[in-house]
Amino acid sequence: MTQNSALCESSNEPSSVVVKTVIVVNQLGLHARPAAQLAQVSQNFKAEITIICDSQEVDAKSILDILTLAAAQGSSLELKAEGVDGAEALDCIEELFKSKFGEEK
Amino acid sequence: MAREVVSGISVSTGIAIGKAYFLNRSISSNLPRQTVPVHMNAGEKERLQYGFEEAVSELSAIREKVPAELKEHKLIIDSHLMMLKDPKLLKASTKYIDDLCINAEWALDKAVNDLEKTFGALEDKYIRERMQDVCQVAQRVQAKLIGGEEHLRPIEGRAVLMAHDLSPADTIELEVNKLMAFVTTLGGKTSHTGILARTLNIPALVGAEKIESSVVDGDLVIVDGLAGKILVDPDEEELEHYYTLQTQFEDYQSTIIKSCQLPAETEDGYRVQVLANIELVEEISAVIDNGGEGVGLFRTEYAYLNRQELPGEEELVEKYSELAEIMSPRKVVLRTLDLGADKFMSYFGSLDEANPAMGLRAIRFCLKHEDIFNTQLRAILRASVHGNISIMFPMICGLKEVHQAKAALAKAQVELTAEGIPFDEDMQVGVMIELPAAVMIAELLAQEVDFFSIGTNDLIQYSLGIDRTNPHVSYLYQPLHPAIVRSIKYVVDAGHRAGIGVSLCGEVASDPYCVPILMGMQIDSLSLTPQAIPGIKRILRQLGMQECKQLLKEVLQCRTVAKINRLVTDNIYKKYPEELIFFASLLDNEEITG
Repeated sequence: MTQNSALCESSNEPSSVVVKTVIVVNQLGLHARPAAQLAQVSQNFKAEITIICDSQEVDAKSILDILTLAAAQGSSLELKAEGVDGAEALDCIEELFKSKFGEEK
Repeated sequence: MAREVVSGISVSTGIAIGKAYFLNRSISSNLPRQTVPVHMNAGEKERLQYGFEEAVSELSAIREKVPAELKEHKLIIDSHLMMLKDPKLLKASTKYIDDLCINAEWALDKAVNDLEKTFGALEDKYIRERMQDVCQVAQRVQAKLIGGEEHLRPIEGRAVLMAHDLSPADTIELEVNKLMAFVTTLGGKTSHTGILARTLNIPALVGAEKIESSVVDGDLVIVDGLAGKILVDPDEEELEHYYTLQTQFEDYQSTIIKSCQLPAETEDGYRVQVLANIELVEEISAVIDNGGEGVGLFRTEYAYLNRQELPGEEELVEKYSELAEIMSPRKVVLRTLDLGADKFMSYFGSLDEANPAMGLRAIRFCLKHEDIFNTQLRAILRASVHGNISIMFPMICGLKEVHQAKAALAKAQVELTAEGIPFDEDMQVGVMIELPAAVMIAELLAQEVDFFSIGTNDLIQYSLGIDRTNPHVSYLYQPLHPAIVRSIKYVVDAGHRAGIGVSLCGEVASDPYCVPILMGMQIDSLSLTPQAIPGIKRILRQLGMQECKQLLKEVLQCRTVAKINRLVTDNIYKKYPEELIFFASLLDNEEITG
């Protein structure tokens, strides 16, 4: 996991950008259900959150966008959040990926 | 005569008679498309926003009504809700209103079309198919915009649902308990519609493409889930026939279910094992409920298909262990990977083969890809401590393959021993007999393994040199061809001489006209689709071993398929005239009824 710690601590500035890399570990990849969960969690935050996969950059609050990434198991995704609660948002999202979206016991 | 007969693929059996009730969501053809003056754009955008909000609250209300046992439904509806709340779809539609000055319905339609292009270009088939969900969601918004207050009319009387496709939300919103049958134009054998219909125990046909042009809302229809057809506007005589058939079928169903847990034993006490063919762990409950005594064929391909990566050892161990544990002490026969022919892993893509059925498939593929094979063998071995697991290798054509496969298994055992991981050292090892070559060397193979499983679907195709899915030659798919009967008998005898058990998996095992002949050969077990078990068990319990042996003797004296079919249908149809109407047979229909 890489984290741009220099920027993420500097709280209130709207321009602060946080970055994290996550790996899709759940078996089915970012299919309908994980995509729905990811969009749902992202929508709880004010920050603008984008997902970058290969060279494709999409909005993490859009289930349709996430689906079009067709990110399979093993894919590496770069997350980028811009806004006051950006760091918190990425922590939550990282947790979601780690928990395999509740897919496996 | 009925006005029209429409055929479809039966995914749930039974008979239903009722009025066609069309689920009218195919609004796209008469969608209002208008341009609006610029000063009204704001109003149009508000209307669009309202349409989305209304759709969200409607779908949320439906979500609340989902019964707890349909958890999958709830999850699908959740993803539909997220699509409705997706800023992209609304934004893209709004932009069309701004740019083109068109009404909300048209703008949304255009935005959906754009998405369709994006999704259509995706490689992942599963995700590509999610476009269907997007369309279902968009149609709900369209219905709100057009102002169809209650777009689902209340169901009155005996209704047969006709739809292009059936979404999980549709099925919740509809009072499914009032429906007599489902018919859809889309969908394959594994569609959601079939699963739901089987749960509700009503007939369902999918792929009935002609309903949209041949059936009108309110038409009287008969859905024949036994034969896979719909009679539109039937006459008195047909109605009477089907009313009788329906009552008989219902009585028959309740009878066979009641007796399905009884042992599969002939009148004179010959015991045969009736096992199930499955491919998902979730199917176990169907196996047990239908009286299956174990799993005779677990197809292991599913975990490898529709994904980019190979499944890991842990994942497979978990799956196989769960299967073994739940079925224990009943046995579970795992067939090692049978990829190739019509099933390919996206990991490899399809090989460029002119004739994949005769190409690098099944055991050939596994022996070539040692690492993939090793992972599966290790997983099967590790799971073997959790229940009664056997393993079998598919598409064996010679001794060398058996030796290589067994060597690969031994290597996995050595590895596990070295790692201190336990496994069942006495796990039974078998081979599938599905190539004519394997039939001819059955005696030699019998020295090497613990059991045989005859795969008749492939054996028939390879022996007669025909592809059953090819309509030009499918008439040659003859399960009781003298060559096939002799082959099966030869294998059973060779197995028994060597003291090993012989099982048969393939559709022949669920064909009431073929089963008595197999019994005459003293087959040890039959493995069939779970839903067919109760009916076949009932047939078996009424058979006598002497008559089966006599029938086999006579069959072996026949010189042609036609003679065999005649003999078998005469004999068996006479014995069970009442129940054989409820079976589909592999034999030529005309010969059975004629």
